[in-house]
Amino acid sequence: MGALSRLNHFFWEYKYLFVPGLLFTMISAGFQITVPMVVRQAVDSIPRFVRIHTLYEGTAAQAELYAYFFGGLLLFAGVIIALSATSGLFMFLMRQTVVVASRHIEYDLRNALYDHLQQLSTTFYQEYSTGDVITRATDDIEKVRRYIGPAIMYVTRSLVMVLVAVSVMFVISPTLTLYALIPLPLLAVSVFFMARMVHHRSDLLQQQYSTLTSRVQEALSGIRVLKAYTREDAEADAFDEESEKYKWRNLNLALVESAWRPSFLLLVGLSTIIVVWMGGRLVAEGAITIGNIAEYIIYINMMTWPVASLGFVITMIQRASASVERLHRIMDREPDIADGPRTDASIQSLEGHIAFHNVWYQYDDEEEPALRGVSFDLPADQTLAIVGRTGSGKSTLVRMIPRLLEPDAGRVTVDGHDVSTIPLETLRQHMGYVPQEVFLFSDTVANNIAFGDLDAPDDEIRAAAREADLLENVEDFPDGFETYVGERGITLSGGQKQRTSIARALIRDPRVLIFDDALSAVDTATERNILRSLRERQGNHTLVIVSHRLSAVQAADLILVMEQGNIVQRGTHEELVDEEGLYADLHEKQLLEEEIEAL
Amino acid sequence: MADDETPYMQDDDTVREVNTFDGRLIRRIAQYLKPYAGWVVLALTITLVGSFLGPLRPWLVQQGIDNYIVVGDLEGLQRIILFLFLALIGEGLLSFAENYLTQYIGQRAIYDLRTTVFRHIQDQPLSFFDRTPIGRLITRTTSDVEALSDVLSSGLIVALGDLFKLFFIAYFMFTLNWQLAVVTLLVMPLMVWVTFWFRNNVREQYRETRKQIARLNSFIQEHVTGMHIVQLFNREEEEMDRFEGINDDHRAAHIRTIFYYAIFWPSIEFISTVALAAVLWYGGVGALSGSALTLGVLVAFIQYARQFFEPIRDLSNQYDTLQRAMAGAERIFGVLDEDHHLPEPDDPVELDAVKGRIEFRNVWFAYEDDNEGNPDWVLKDVSFTVEPGETVALVGATGAGKSTVMNLLLRFYEIQRGEILVDGVNIRDLRLKALRRHIGLILQDVFLFSGSVERNLTLGDPSIDEKSMKRAAEIVQADQFIERLPEGYQQDVKERGSSLSHGQRQLLAFVRALLYDPDVMVLDEATSSVDTETEALIQQALERLTEGRTTLAIAHRLSTIQDADMILVMHKGEVRERGTHQELLAQDGLYRKLHDLQYADQSPAASGDGAPSDGRVRANL
Ligand SMILES: Nc1ncnc2c1ncn2[C@@H]1O[C@H](COP(=O)(O)OP(=O)(O)OP(=O)(O)O)[C@@H](O)[C@H]1O
Ligand SMILES: Nc1ncnc2c1ncn2[C@@H]1O[C@H](COP(=O)(O)OP(=O)(O)OP(=O)(O)O)[C@@H](O)[C@H]1O
Ligand SMILES: [Mg+2]
Ligand SMILES: [Mg+2]
Repeated sequence: MGALSRLNHFFWEYKYLFVPGLLFTMISAGFQITVPMVVRQAVDSIPRFVRIHTLYEGTAAQAELYAYFFGGLLLFAGVIIALSATSGLFMFLMRQTVVVASRHIEYDLRNALYDHLQQLSTTFYQEYSTGDVITRATDDIEKVRRYIGPAIMYVTRSLVMVLVAVSVMFVISPTLTLYALIPLPLLAVSVFFMARMVHHRSDLLQQQYSTLTSRVQEALSGIRVLKAYTREDAEADAFDEESEKYKWRNLNLALVESAWRPSFLLLVGLSTIIVVWMGGRLVAEGAITIGNIAEYIIYINMMTWPVASLGFVITMIQRASASVERLHRIMDREPDIADGPRTDASIQSLEGHIAFHNVWYQYDDEEEPALRGVSFDLPADQTLAIVGRTGSGKSTLVRMIPRLLEPDAGRVTVDGHDVSTIPLETLRQHMGYVPQEVFLFSDTVANNIAFGDLDAPDDEIRAAAREADLLENVEDFPDGFETYVGERGITLSGGQKQRTSIARALIRDPRVLIFDDALSAVDTATERNILRSLRERQGNHTLVIVSHRLSAVQAADLILVMEQGNIVQRGTHEELVDEEGLYADLHEKQLLEEEIEAL
Repeated sequence: MADDETPYMQDDDTVREVNTFDGRLIRRIAQYLKPYAGWVVLALTITLVGSFLGPLRPWLVQQGIDNYIVVGDLEGLQRIILFLFLALIGEGLLSFAENYLTQYIGQRAIYDLRTTVFRHIQDQPLSFFDRTPIGRLITRTTSDVEALSDVLSSGLIVALGDLFKLFFIAYFMFTLNWQLAVVTLLVMPLMVWVTFWFRNNVREQYRETRKQIARLNSFIQEHVTGMHIVQLFNREEEEMDRFEGINDDHRAAHIRTIFYYAIFWPSIEFISTVALAAVLWYGGVGALSGSALTLGVLVAFIQYARQFFEPIRDLSNQYDTLQRAMAGAERIFGVLDEDHHLPEPDDPVELDAVKGRIEFRNVWFAYEDDNEGNPDWVLKDVSFTVEPGETVALVGATGAGKSTVMNLLLRFYEIQRGEILVDGVNIRDLRLKALRRHIGLILQDVFLFSGSVERNLTLGDPSIDEKSMKRAAEIVQADQFIERLPEGYQQDVKERGSSLSHGQRQLLAFVRALLYDPDVMVLDEATSSVDTETEALIQQALERLTEGRTTLAIAHRLSTIQDADMILVMHKGEVRERGTHQELLAQDGLYRKLHDLQYADQSPAASGDGAPSDGRVRANL
């Protein structure tokens, strides 16, 4: 439960709501609990009134007495109503403060979480699945909110009511109270055990719910694969199985929960019975009145709910505690890629001279290193091309430049500054990155392009689209730039998606442009157009281009050939074709093809 | 981009006007209980008895007070106590049975509903998935169904139980003292009015909060998946602002809701206390005027005045759940009703083995209509024939419609005009699964499931053994990298295969298609992210494999397709040129242009030194 103490600063922050809120809670409970006392007074008075009234049967005073008693009874009723109205008023105020405060805290928490999420690097997102993160931001925060608002409200209310009621009962008759409260320890014990069982079982249920959700999420995201391979039935069967498991976990939980209410009913009912039984004896002995019995019964009924809810509240608190822990596992994670003490705020602009000094990187301790001591130096405004086999580490290398990854060993520098000393914002502002895997937002084409430069006017968007050779395509769409692309850009063709992603990078007019295999889905003519527009910009940017097509890399000032995380060859196209090795082989192969065609 | 209304908030969970007590909807939900009718009857019987025992107890207490406590008959009191005890135990047991039984029925019905919804969604054609955000569909199968479970399990039975309870309480009250009963019930209209007032207002708010929750969720979902883009493009501040905006709307909607609850709960409490006060006052005055009101009756009424409002309170308490359930049901049935799944032919043609003759005959196709309602043609009058065993390649500019051709062949979408034939049979006359079973498609956008490499290769098909899996991996040159993974074939590739390089993912997709051993291979840029060397190796291996197998390939790298028996050049949805590589080069058309472009760059870049001639010399050797 210690985790919950981490929320304390919120209570402090919203003390202007919590302090009055708790006060209102107590006042409301206090007024509510006095109602039975008045009821007892009334119940006890009625026989007395009747006795006196009949005593004066037939006399003139009777009418006067009648009016007097009538007024008395009206007073009782009025007091009861007044008490209840006051209690209600404060209950209203209580909800308007405590529950509202819980919503404010929920808001703050969620903002804090999202803000933090924005600072976390790829490593984090690799570790946590999307579903997990979403659960943190929704379910877990909701559970915490319930602890902050309703749980605290109920606990305070219950405590006040139970304390007042028990003391009043004690004053009336200690013996009867003791008897009436016999079931209480039993209640406490069963609450504890049941809450624990419920807790455990609902955790299992929650797990299965996540499994089920991710199963659906994956199946539907990969629906094209499932359909192409006619795996729908197998998938549906697998889903049935998970649903079946979910059903049983639900029923396991239901077993305990079904016993929950009856148990309370039994124990509370037992109290009532004891009150009638023992109370009956005490009345016979003249120790208490029948009004007291009525009062006791009301108290016991009044306490039923608070005490019963106490059990739920305990689970609520336990759950909230687990949620806070889960949340803080994310919030406590230091953003591994962020500005720090080493950041040199004076660096405001970059030229684009990129150098790697013996850079090593390993994604996972058990995996082989993806980069093994990579070094190179690329003066500003030059073009670097990287070629190499699938999985040789090309993408890993280029991810280091905008600092999406950080080297395990070695240094990456831009303009001679270690990238970790350049303010992250400055660094990325000067980069235009086209990732290998295209990601578009479900938004219009124009907005997706302008993602790279928020304030870009329409003609700049058009210009960027033209440079990415996308303009013609977009103009063919019925809605042009306002065409809404589906999730991840699903309604665009492969090449259209990729070029939107290129336009998004170009519109920033960056110092460093990074194309990670960004022309794989476009045809030769388009590729050529794009390369041409890039060349027109030559001298305005440093270009890093990863490609499998020699046509795209030949003009580079420096070509790196990678193999299993090493740079095995480097040089210009001319140098490399003369050198024995991978590059010459590739070149030869492509020429050979050309020759054969020409025959 | 500043305006964030449209993208994140389409008509998704804009909760439509749902009447909580919509009879048609309830009947439809009840349909799912039909298979468990026997259990339902049992549960109802138990509920009926249970709701009699509850109100019985105050009556017994009254008997105890009036007949025994007042007169001091402790013996008699003991008997009453015994009855009370039995009633209590009985009520406890029945209540337990009722709770569990309703859950049992509900969970089984929910299971049926959930699996039905999932199968239904899965059966929808791809055009449905193009239009519908996945997040929404996930909501349908999970939380919407979940919301319904409360209604299906306890909802109907508990509601009936509450009604029974009301009835029995009223019965006991009227038998004890009808005047007092009337007085107690006098506050009923007030109660009803408050409940209606609350319901109307909260419904409004409820819709608003649902909308805000949906907005919040889809924002988080999309931004978590695209976080690297947000970071790369320095959009953190703007996105934070937008998030705060959405979060703020969400909070505001909830806070408005709190107000109505804050009024409702105290009012209910207050009204039931008013009833209590009225009972005391009227009872007292009645006693003065000599009516036969006993103390026991008064005490009993004090209890009934509270008990009577409990079921009503329960019902309102359930309101939120009920409203959510009804809205969920509405949406679920909305999905179930909107069925676009392709009808199976009445008299399907059976194809045991496909020889692989494929023919497109004057095919016209549009994904969508344009603004005037005319189809926005993506394919225009496309015709071609692939003979069994032939390899046909599709080339053309991006967006020309190549992938669309493949999509249509697998009948992912329905064509508007023309026909597509496989072995001379119109694909509409084939069972969908039969058609797809014979065609192995490698999609342009690779998708991997999270889970092991093996699961991704076999897609959970137990009939694929390890040996053939490894052999297929060898053919595609994927074996080397798979074996280098720490856990080899059991390695978890993570969401969408994110722990692999892009080319590696593509290789896995290729292995998957091979394992499937289809009669027709359809490759949509299957090696676009794979290096040239590996690609060449794959091609050599494939040549042996595709011997006699019809192959349809799309590629931008012309080198990979020039051996094709026929090349179709597509342009803006039409087949402009067709023929072999040589023929097309000779035609001096689009293909020639593409080809020249692809190889043109190599010469100028290399000119000026001896490199090209070197290459040429070696090549000629
Ligand atoms: N699901 C869809 N919904 C609506 N329009 C679509 C959809 N898929 C593709 N389109 C549109 O249809 C046209 C043809 O797309 P298609 O994917 O067939 O092109 P392609 O020739 O495969 O191009 P690429 O070489 O870029 O992959 C494009 O203009 C595209 O925007
Ligand atoms: N997120 C990751 N987690 C673990 N391993 C990874 C991850 N990303 C890449 N790898 C591994 O690191 C190696 C290098 O991957 P990288 O993506 O840099 O290759 P690449 O040269 O870009 O290949 P491709 O040409 O296929 O894009 C591969 O063996 C890959 O499996
Ligand atoms: Mg890569
Ligand atoms: Mg395509």
